[in-house]
Amino acid sequence: MNFKKLTGALALSAVVASSLVAADTVKIGVQAPITGKYANEGQSIENFVKLIVDEKNAAGGLLGKQIEVVTCDDEAKAQKAAVCAKKLVNEGVFAVIGSYTSGATEAAQTTYYRNKVLQTSDGTSDSLISKKYWTFFRNSFPNSSQSDFTADYFVNVKKYQRIVVLSDYSSYSAGLGDSTEASTKALGGNVIFRGKVKSGTQNFTAVLTKIKAMKPDVIYYSGYYTDGGLIRAQQEQLEIDADFVGGDSNDNPDFVKLAGKSAEGTVLINFPTPEILPYPEAKKYLAAYKARFKMDPPSIWPVTNADGLRAVIEGVEKTNSFDTKKISDYIRSTMKDFPGITGPFNIREDGERVGAKFVVYNMKNDGTKEVVK
Amino acid sequence: MDTFLQQLINGLTVGSLYALVALGYTMVYGVMKLINFAHGDLVAFSAYVGLTIFTQFYGSSALSLVNIVIVFSLTAIVVAFVGVLLERLAYRPLRTAPRLSAVVSALGASLVIQNGIMLIWGPNMEIFPADVFPSTSWNFGGVIISFTQLVILALSAVLMVSLYIFINKTKMGTAIRATAIDQDAAKLMGINVNRIIMIIFIVGSMLGAIGGLFIGMYYRGLTFDMGWLYGLNAFIAAIIGGIGSIPGAMLGGLLLGLFNAMISGYISTEWAETFTFILLIVILIVKPTGLLGEKTAEKV
Repeated sequence: MNFKKLTGALALSAVVASSLVAADTVKIGVQAPITGKYANEGQSIENFVKLIVDEKNAAGGLLGKQIEVVTCDDEAKAQKAAVCAKKLVNEGVFAVIGSYTSGATEAAQTTYYRNKVLQTSDGTSDSLISKKYWTFFRNSFPNSSQSDFTADYFVNVKKYQRIVVLSDYSSYSAGLGDSTEASTKALGGNVIFRGKVKSGTQNFTAVLTKIKAMKPDVIYYSGYYTDGGLIRAQQEQLEIDADFVGGDSNDNPDFVKLAGKSAEGTVLINFPTPEILPYPEAKKYLAAYKARFKMDPPSIWPVTNADGLRAVIEGVEKTNSFDTKKISDYIRSTMKDFPGITGPFNIREDGERVGAKFVVYNMKNDGTKEVVK
Repeated sequence: MDTFLQQLINGLTVGSLYALVALGYTMVYGVMKLINFAHGDLVAFSAYVGLTIFTQFYGSSALSLVNIVIVFSLTAIVVAFVGVLLERLAYRPLRTAPRLSAVVSALGASLVIQNGIMLIWGPNMEIFPADVFPSTSWNFGGVIISFTQLVILALSAVLMVSLYIFINKTKMGTAIRATAIDQDAAKLMGINVNRIIMIIFIVGSMLGAIGGLFIGMYYRGLTFDMGWLYGLNAFIAAIIGGIGSIPGAMLGGLLLGLFNAMISGYISTEWAETFTFILLIVILIVKPTGLLGEKTAEKV
């Protein structure tokens, strides 16, 4: 017992000593799933943060202070996320990158807000900005941006006259379907049918035959590839002369296997994958990432988080202070078209990232994709 | 009109699949008064076995007629063997036990087969090669029927007619019908009841196996829990037609498929299942034995 107390005291004094010695350092937190189901994403977020921090430190640091990264593993769980938030606040970070999932991000938001700590996350759930915390801004794009993009593609690019929107009953798919229908109508598009199918039913010929009689130009499916591939195959079998457009969850190699020959010419709409980002920052940072960690980021999300960090750094330098309120105001109001790795970085007053970039792929029979837009 | 005819073909195709599977339920029920809940999973198992034989022996290229016959026969034999094994292990020891024990055993067997499929082939979707049959289709004034659909419709019809003749016109069929009416009396007439039950399981599993192969070829995506979907629908089909009646299972399957397609096409896709179950309840209220359950009085 005494021994424990002693080591505790020693450890405490060590912490105090180190914080005294390191008076000219500043701390940035990473809250990410380092272990568990999304470990590869979480680790990649931490790696990307380290890459950018090391680059900054080598160039003299942030306003002359060396940046120290403090990581907390939230395992993508809400309870752990709440603990992480307290821990990182106690560590004295001024900004936190993460977390990866919307759920873990939301669980930590209030703690950061109360302690005036900046937070940026890639979570796509629309609810993340509903609390209107000035401390939070999103570095990816919300789900609703996908429907806006899709509607624009239908109405203004392809000029479809007769649009069919199908989804399954899951909250993700039905939500995307509903918002796509709403966005399309808002742009003056003509949605002639909005239907829901039961995922896993396998037989979609009945609803497709019904749709055929309506003579659609395009069938949009906002569900998952397991059903999307079959819907496409059965559409071809019934000789329905309409384009097929799938939402992001259709982007899977099994879609092509299920659709068979009918996969050719299918259009899928998704977030761009890192390797096809066209921006000069993307080329530079992705090459540096690969050189250091010997692999590519597993998805776009660690890259958007890196952009969140870069925006925070930009905010500190432009306001010449570590006052989080000032940094937040700068990022929201003054910063325009900051050159991000994932494209121009603009944050709206409520913390939403605007100017979403999506990619339209043409699918080929052999499973390869051709970027059309 | 062409939309109506197209829905008719859609419904008949799905309906024949339900009917093939429903026959397995109804035959076992007719003889043993047992709902074989594992039958649907046996159907899913057949689709996986068929897929494995296809890919192992012939690659994924288009197959000749001889090869297709071999694959169908091999799958049917494997599944029939598993069906007999199922009866031996899960049902025979409980034949004199209370009815409920056998039902619970059937539910257990269903889970064993389902999880077995998951352990052997994995939890991810397996995909049947495209174009096992030529991808030809015919367009009759806007009504489209594909080669695969034609094969399903034709072969199902042939199988159902053969089964009807087997049960009604052969000596073995007579023995099966006798066992269905009264097992003890059948024994006294010198009928080997164990052998009859084995034959019921072989025939039922083989029909299910062919149904499973059709499902695999037509829809192509296989999941380890798909047996539940087809098993449930086929079970409903068997009840609509009158469980225990062979023509009833055929009629019930076709009706269920047609009804589902027509509701989806003309009323509401979202409400198709609700209406289907309302139909089931109405039929059971009006005629508790099912459509053909009593009149023909041939419980097999």
